Amino acid sequence: MPNEINKEIIEQFIASAKEVVATVERIPANANSLNDALVAATENEVVLLAQPDDLDPELFSIFKLNKNVIIEPTKEQLSTIKTGITDAFCAIASTGSVCLSITKNLSSPASMLTRKHIVIVDSKTIIPKPRDIFSEKYLEGKGLKRSFSIITGPSATADMGPLVRGVHGPGKLHIIIVDLPTGRQGS
Amino acid sequence: MENINDYKIHPRQVADKSSKETLKKAIKLALDVESDAVRLNTQSFNTNRYKAVKKIDDYEELKDRARQIKENSIQNLPQLLDKLTETIEHRGGKIFLAKSKKDATDYIKNVCLSHKAKLIVKAKSITSEEIGLNSVLEKQGFEIAETDLAEFILQVSKEQPSHNVAPAIHRSRESISELFKRNFNTDKSLETGEELTEFARDILRKKFLSADIGISGANLIAAEEGTILLVESEGNIRLTTQLPAVHIAIAGIEKIIPSKKDFGIFIELLAASGTGQPLTSYTNILEPPLDLPILNLNGRKDKQREFHLVIIDNGRMQMREDKDLKEALYCIRCSACMNSCANFQAVGGHAFGGEVYTGGIGGAWTVGTTDILEKGRFAELCTGCSRCVPNCPVRIDIPKLNTTIKNRLIKAAGGPSLQKSFFGNFSILGKFASITPGLSNWVSNLSISRTIMEKIIGFEKRRKIPRFANKTLVKQYKEYRRTNNLKSKTNELTSGLVLLADVYTNYNNPNVGMAAIKVFDKLGMSITLSKLLDEGRASQSQGLVQLATKRALKLATYLEELIDDGNEIIVAEPSVLALFRYDYKKLLNNDKQFDKLANHTYDPIEYINMLIVNCKLDLTKYIANSDLPKPKIFYHGHCQMKTIGAGYVASEFFQRLDYTVDVSNVECCGMAGSFGFKKEYYAISKNIGDDLIHQIIRSDSFDSNTIILASGTSCREQIGDELNNPIYHPIEFLQKILK
Repeated sequence: MPNEINKEIIEQFIASAKEVVATVERIPANANSLNDALVAATENEVVLLAQPDDLDPELFSIFKLNKNVIIEPTKEQLSTIKTGITDAFCAIASTGSVCLSITKNLSSPASMLTRKHIVIVDSKTIIPKPRDIFSEKYLEGKGLKRSFSIITGPSATADMGPLVRGVHGPGKLHIIIVDLPTGRQGS
Repeated sequence: MENINDYKIHPRQVADKSSKETLKKAIKLALDVESDAVRLNTQSFNTNRYKAVKKIDDYEELKDRARQIKENSIQNLPQLLDKLTETIEHRGGKIFLAKSKKDATDYIKNVCLSHKAKLIVKAKSITSEEIGLNSVLEKQGFEIAETDLAEFILQVSKEQPSHNVAPAIHRSRESISELFKRNFNTDKSLETGEELTEFARDILRKKFLSADIGISGANLIAAEEGTILLVESEGNIRLTTQLPAVHIAIAGIEKIIPSKKDFGIFIELLAASGTGQPLTSYTNILEPPLDLPILNLNGRKDKQREFHLVIIDNGRMQMREDKDLKEALYCIRCSACMNSCANFQAVGGHAFGGEVYTGGIGGAWTVGTTDILEKGRFAELCTGCSRCVPNCPVRIDIPKLNTTIKNRLIKAAGGPSLQKSFFGNFSILGKFASITPGLSNWVSNLSISRTIMEKIIGFEKRRKIPRFANKTLVKQYKEYRRTNNLKSKTNELTSGLVLLADVYTNYNNPNVGMAAIKVFDKLGMSITLSKLLDEGRASQSQGLVQLATKRALKLATYLEELIDDGNEIIVAEPSVLALFRYDYKKLLNNDKQFDKLANHTYDPIEYINMLIVNCKLDLTKYIANSDLPKPKIFYHGHCQMKTIGAGYVASEFFQRLDYTVDVSNVECCGMAGSFGFKKEYYAISKNIGDDLIHQIIRSDSFDSNTIILASGTSCREQIGDELNNPIYHPIEFLQKILK
C-alpha cells in the first residue's frame, strides 16, 4: 500500500475511532515507546497482558517486566481484573473499529471481563471498510481464517433509557497505533 | 401517561391478536402507557438510520446484493443446510435440525441435562422466544439468566418483546427504575441510566462467572465455513459464547447464507439500518467450538469446548413454499421497518405485534411460525403508507405481505366486512353521493346517520365526513371548457397532457384538479381530463386484492393507450401516483406496461419542475408581481410520494421561488386513506396526527397565516381537523401566485 494512502487512511481511522468515543494515540513501533505509552495508559493499575497474536512480542519486552503486569492470571485475578491489554490484527478506517482474534491467547478475557481495554494495532493493517476484512485482497486473507470480534468503541446500552457506556464489556477503549520505522514500511 | 407498572392490563394478556377485541385492548394499552417511550426511541433510531445510510456511498447497490444473496440462499436452502452440517461436524461441533418447537426445546433440554447444568446464561434470541425455550428449561428446574439488559428487564416484568432490536423499547427509564425497586430488595439508588445499568451488570456478572452453559442466537450463518455472525453492543454475547465451555446457538433456517465472504455487506447494512451506527460495539465472527482456553471460572472441570447449533424450521420451510410469505424469509431483523413506521412509532410491538414478532414484518412471521392466520390480525395496523419499503436493507415489500394477510383474513371470514366493502368501494359511493351531493352531505352528517354509520360500518363519529363536492371535477371541467370557449376534450385521445380524474380528486377535491388544469392552461400547455376510472387504491388498502387487480388492469389499459398516443399523465393525488410508480408493478404483473406507466406519470409540480430544470420553461415570467411580503409555508410530504422519491419536490420548488418553507419529518400523517376514519383506529390516527400538528405549530415561522401545503387528500383532512390555517395542495398554491 503506498505511503500516501496509508497516511490518509490512518487519519480517517483516528477520526472515526474518536467519534465512537475511543481514545487514540499514535507512537513509533519500539519497545521503549510502547512501554511509556502503556505505563501512562494503565495508570499504575494491575493489568492483564494477553500474548499478542499478530504483533511482534519483542515490542512488549520492556513493559512485560513491569510489576503491575499479569501474564498468567489465576481464576481469582481473571474474575476481578479491571484492565486488559491486547493486540488487534487489523483496524477499520470508516468505522474506527479494531479486530481482535479469538485464540489460545487471552485476548478475549482481557477485553471482555475488564472495565478498560487497551489495544495495540499496526498502522499498516488499517483497511478502508468493514467488508474489506472478508476480502482476500486485504490482510493476506487473515480475516477469512479465524474467529474474531470487531470492536467499535466501548460497550454500550440504551436499554435503560439514556445511552450508558460500560455494560458487560469495558466502558473505556484506548487504541495505540504503532508505526513501523520508516524503511520497513510496506515490507 | 399512566403508569405501566400499575396498568390494568398486562401486555402478555393481549399478546395473541387472534380476536379483534384483543387487538383493540392492546391498542388502548399501548396508547395509555407505552406510546411516549416507543415514539422517543423509535424516532431516535429512525433519525440515526437516515444519517448512517447516507454515509454508505453504495447503499442502493449494497441492498441489491444483500437481496440477491438472500434470494439465492432461500432458493438453495436444502443444499446449504447439507453443506453447513458437513462443515460444523467436520470441525467437531454438533448440528440439529428441529422441525418443531418441541424438537428444538427437547434437544436443548437434553444438552443441558447431559452437562448437569444449573445455571444457563442467555444472550438475546427472538427465535428462542418463538420456541418458548425459557419456560421449558425453567420447568425442568434450570435457572435462566437473560443477559441482554432489555431481555433482563422483560424477564423481571414478564412482558413479551415490543421491538426486534430493542425488546424493552416501550419502557422509559422511570418505569424501569420503579420496576426494579419493586422487584429487588436493595438499598442502592436506582435512578439514573448509569445506576440501573451498573445494578443489572453486577447481578449478571455473578451469573456469567458461575454459568454452566451459554445460549445465543445468530444473525447469520455461513454454510461453507460454518461461521456464525453475532452483533451486539453490550458485550453479553461475547461472555455468553466464550465464558462457559458449552455454547448452544439457536437460529432459524433462513439465517444460512453460502459464505462468510458476504458477511461484510450484511454487517454494514445491519448496523446502519438497525441502530444507525457505523457498527455496533461488538461484531462477533465465530467458528465454534472456539480455540480458546476454558477458564472454568464457574468451578467446573470442563476439559473440552462443546458447540451445538440448533437450526429451527417451525414453519419456515412451509413459508418457503408460499409464494407470498416467502418474502419474509429474507428479513435480517434490523427493525428499520418498525422505526420508519408512523403507526409503530405510536404504539410499538405490544399492539403492532404478536406474541413474539412485531411491526410490519411481524404479521407474516407470526402467521408463518404459528400456522394460525388470525394471530396475524395486527397486520391491519399496516396502512400501506410504504415508508418501510425504501428503508428495508433486503428490499422486502412489507406492505404487500400485510395486504396478503388482510386478504386471507377476509377469505377466512367468508367475505369482506361491511366496513371493508364501504371503504374499498369509495368510487361507487362517490358516484351515488354525487348525484345529489347537498343531500348526501346533509344526510351523512346528521347525528342519527353518524350513529348508524359508526355502529354498522365502524366510521368514527368524531371525524368530519369527507364532503362530496357540489360539482365533480368532470362536471366542472366541462363547464370550464364551455365558458372559456374551448371545446371540451374530455375522453379524447389527443397528444399533450392529460390530468387523471382519480376518484378522490373527482368527488372530493375538484378544486385541486381545476387548479392543475388552470395552471397548465396559463403556462400555455394543452391539457385535457381523462375518463373517470377507479384506480384500485382503496380496495388494495382494505386487502381486497382481486378487486384492486381488476380495477388496475382496466385503468392501465386505458392509460397505456393515452401514453402510446403521445400523452404524459398528470396525477394530483399522490396515493394514486404511487400506484402507477410502485404498486402496479405487482398488481399488473406486466413489467412492460408498468414501466410505461411509471415513466409517463407525474405529480403536477414535479412535471413543471422538470420543465424548468430542462430549461423548457421560464416560470418567473408567469409569477404575479407582488409588493406584499411572501407568506411562510409549512410543507408535509406525503408518505407514498416520499417512497417513490418525489416527496420533497414541492418544498424545494417553493424554496427556489424564495419562500421560507419548513418541512415535517413525520413519516406519515396517520390518516392514511381510510385508516383514520375507522372507529377502532381513530385513537392511533389522532396520536400520529398530533405528532405532525406539534411539528407544524412548533416550527420557526409558524403563525395563523402560515400556509400549509400537503398533496395528499388525507393529509389535508388530518391537519384540517386541528388547525384553521389555509391548507392547499401545492398546485393550488402555485395557481394563486401566477399572474
